[in-house]
Amino acid sequence: MRTSRKHRYVFDLDPINMTPMMNLMVVLIPLLLTSAEFVRLGIIELNLPPAVSGAGAAAAEEAGMKAGKLDLAVTITDRGFFISSAMAVLANEGEPTLPVLNGMHDFSGLSMKLLEIKRQAKDLYPDLEQIIILAEPEIDYQTVVSTMDAARSIEVEGNTEILFPEVFLSATVR
Amino acid sequence: MPQLTSMMDMFTILLVFLLKNFSTEGQLINPSRDITLPVSAVQQAPETGLDVVVSRDWILVNGKPVARTPDADRLEGFIIPSLQRELQKYADEGRNLEEKYGRRFSGKVTIQGDKRLAYRALIKVMATCGQAHFPNMRLVVYQKEG
Repeated sequence: MRTSRKHRYVFDLDPINMTPMMNLMVVLIPLLLTSAEFVRLGIIELNLPPAVSGAGAAAAEEAGMKAGKLDLAVTITDRGFFISSAMAVLANEGEPTLPVLNGMHDFSGLSMKLLEIKRQAKDLYPDLEQIIILAEPEIDYQTVVSTMDAARSIEVEGNTEILFPEVFLSATVR
Repeated sequence: MPQLTSMMDMFTILLVFLLKNFSTEGQLINPSRDITLPVSAVQQAPETGLDVVVSRDWILVNGKPVARTPDADRLEGFIIPSLQRELQKYADEGRNLEEKYGRRFSGKVTIQGDKRLAYRALIKVMATCGQAHFPNMRLVVYQKEG
């Protein structure tokens, strides 16, 4: 019958030729897989500790004295953070400003404290971006990096406030 | 003719996923296998520079071991002599290129350190880099998710 022949004509089409598409996939997928980044790396830019640069540092220090700098410094010890600045030394008789809580350094406490300092020091000092981070020799690298994170910015009620992004690293005097 | 539809489905999804996180820059820094980098919340993308790796056993410059980390750890003072010698070589080479061909010597160095490393070893490496005319230091870290 005529209708059935027509029917067969419609459904007996050859299947689509997949080969070029498959070729494309087979080339593209390995290419993208090899260039894919599965871990995201970042970098922290560092400023030289002023002490290393020698004569230049001495001159800079002198200029700083005249301008009246904040000279904010955080010292990481195994007992907690010591914070000091030109405004006040926030330690009480050899006790850390922010002691270690349950064996962990109090990074959020540090951020809050630095925010407080930043607000107080506003319009009073020129170096509102800089912080010196010192650490005891035994402190591990991750703790130092986390401290830099805590000192860089803070989330307050949903918006990010910049604290002290310019980090100077320095070694402690033993 | 085998049934290819499901395979095509899979490939399409994979392709879309891979294209989505494809970066044109590629990987500028290859993290070493034997170290675990610290995690940080920084957003800054990596850039190239002289590669200094500080693992728990060795200090490497561009993949070449120059000093043992425990030895450097015990060292008095802040300068690691063998590391300084190696870095100085690269610095001289960079200066030379700058003089002859006008390619600016940036003094950039990327430092990959193990996260369990003690600060005293790290600060020595950094002080040495500073002394050997590589003042622009970058610490390589893993970016925190989200």
